[in-house]
Amino acid sequence: MNKIDRRKFIKSAGLAGGALSLAGAAGAGYSAGADKDSYTGYGRTNYGEDQFFNRKPFIVDNPTYVKKGEPVRITAVEDIFKRNGMLSRLMFSRGDIEPAWKPADGIDALPGQLRDYYKANPGALEEFIKAMEKGRAQRANWEKYRDKYFIADAWSTAHSSPIRGRGAFPAEPRDRPEKSDFRGVNKVKLEPKSPSHASELIKKICYSFGASLAGIAKVKKEWVYQGSLRGVGREDYEVPSHWKYAIVIAVPHEWDSMYANPTYGTSYDAYSKLRFIAGKMEVFVKELGYSSRPHVPPTSYDLVMPPLAIDAGLGEQGRNGILITPELGANTRLAAVTTDMPLEPDKPIDIGVSRFCEKCKICAEECPGGAIDFSDKAETVVRGYKRWKIDQNKCFTIWNSVATSHARGCRVCLSVCPYSRKNNWVHSFAREVDPRDPTGLVASGLLAMQKKFFNYPGGQEYLPPPDGNNRTFGEAPEWMKTDEWFKI
Amino acid sequence: MFSNSNILGPLFWIIMGVLYMVFITGLVVWLKDLNIKMNWWKWSLVLLWFILLSIIIAGGFTLIGENEMRAGLLFIAVPGAVMIVAGVALSRFLFRNRHEKQNN
Repeated sequence: MNKIDRRKFIKSAGLAGGALSLAGAAGAGYSAGADKDSYTGYGRTNYGEDQFFNRKPFIVDNPTYVKKGEPVRITAVEDIFKRNGMLSRLMFSRGDIEPAWKPADGIDALPGQLRDYYKANPGALEEFIKAMEKGRAQRANWEKYRDKYFIADAWSTAHSSPIRGRGAFPAEPRDRPEKSDFRGVNKVKLEPKSPSHASELIKKICYSFGASLAGIAKVKKEWVYQGSLRGVGREDYEVPSHWKYAIVIAVPHEWDSMYANPTYGTSYDAYSKLRFIAGKMEVFVKELGYSSRPHVPPTSYDLVMPPLAIDAGLGEQGRNGILITPELGANTRLAAVTTDMPLEPDKPIDIGVSRFCEKCKICAEECPGGAIDFSDKAETVVRGYKRWKIDQNKCFTIWNSVATSHARGCRVCLSVCPYSRKNNWVHSFAREVDPRDPTGLVASGLLAMQKKFFNYPGGQEYLPPPDGNNRTFGEAPEWMKTDEWFKI
Repeated sequence: MFSNSNILGPLFWIIMGVLYMVFITGLVVWLKDLNIKMNWWKWSLVLLWFILLSIIIAGGFTLIGENEMRAGLLFIAVPGAVMIVAGVALSRFLFRNRHEKQNN
């Protein structure tokens, strides 16, 4: 009798143990998903020891961008912010100065560079005028949405505070690089044991300043702007000989706000972090006795960041034109510090981003402005390199359309990217397995799950009424919901 | 896990280990009482099935924890259905062997 009871007990306990262990697996899984430690890009220490993807198996000799023809440096007029600034100064009166140009005057009445650009890009001027109209409507409608996005707007404004005006950090250069990059350089200079030692130290310091990722690249001439140099103004120039290396720094946006794009997130949180890191790195390098110059967002750059970051081994360029890193996905924002300190450059990596982007197209499907290329292959040649075409002008129209207090951008293409997922075991497994699969079957399987399982509302939905419904990709965090904290 | 405590996390995994052992001990007795003869590869199949089921449940709940309810439920439902079919097939296979042995 006793023996039978014992067997029954063991069997019942086994059944209960099996059920409870499955429940425990569910609990552990839930905890891994909800854990804020799994926010992509954030390690448990400043040094990020627990966050790095092992790049070694994916190091390649040549970067993943494809050269086609002769590389050409980007000119100021090709940069949307510089171009729009030039046109705005002509279109809108300032004080007593009358507008120098109005749309009725036509493209031929524009000054040289602008005229050439808009002639070469039919529809771009009309898109800019549309963006201005959308901006006016956005400001007029802001009162309708103000309370809902009150905290988000205040949060963004706070993050933008180190960016503008006289108190901006780092300060804009006020001289030619040959002067400004050497200003404040310590007269005492110690030689590093080797370039490799110097690179390792610089990266450690980057992490201690708060960088999530850091890499070293040689400065290539084709990544340097032409026709516009900070501290000098509009002129053509040769790349300064002391811009030997670039320390490339990456940070992600705050996770919750990034996921709740376009209305609860802006770029300023990552921008302000990058400015502090790059600004401090400028000082650190100068203290070591070498020249340095920070290149920081939103527009204080003399170099184009994504290809520089590809050279530095941080990641690859995606269909959305953004650098995609294994750790942060498309939620990657970049800054750099150019220097003549002898450093050892990192090698580029190939984790198969282009091959994945060829199949995926989620960012193109979800872009509210239709600004991202749907072509299977990256065939558009831009300044001597093949890439997927991004229609900056359409993108800018959406910047001016979404329900924010003023043009604060969109970033839906960052949030929806399948690479922009949390740093937990499920997504880490996908990150590790996919690039090791030569058949592409894993990527196809993951992509099928991504498209069928996750909610993708479609580009239009992110726009304010009547065009859309002010949808966000992810749900806004409770700390950004005004009605949780204020009487509205 | 248990972000406010560095005691509960290790305790949780100790308890999980105990539960798995209780489950396997119970399974051994169940299979003996059902007169199912097991060998190493049959045990491997049964344990693989259970581990995969655990991973699917944990994966689905990870997505639910990320606030991706739909993705989490589908992650459990679709591979979960496959696992149920595989589980039925596995048990029928184990039971069929038992009958064959009994008939013999």
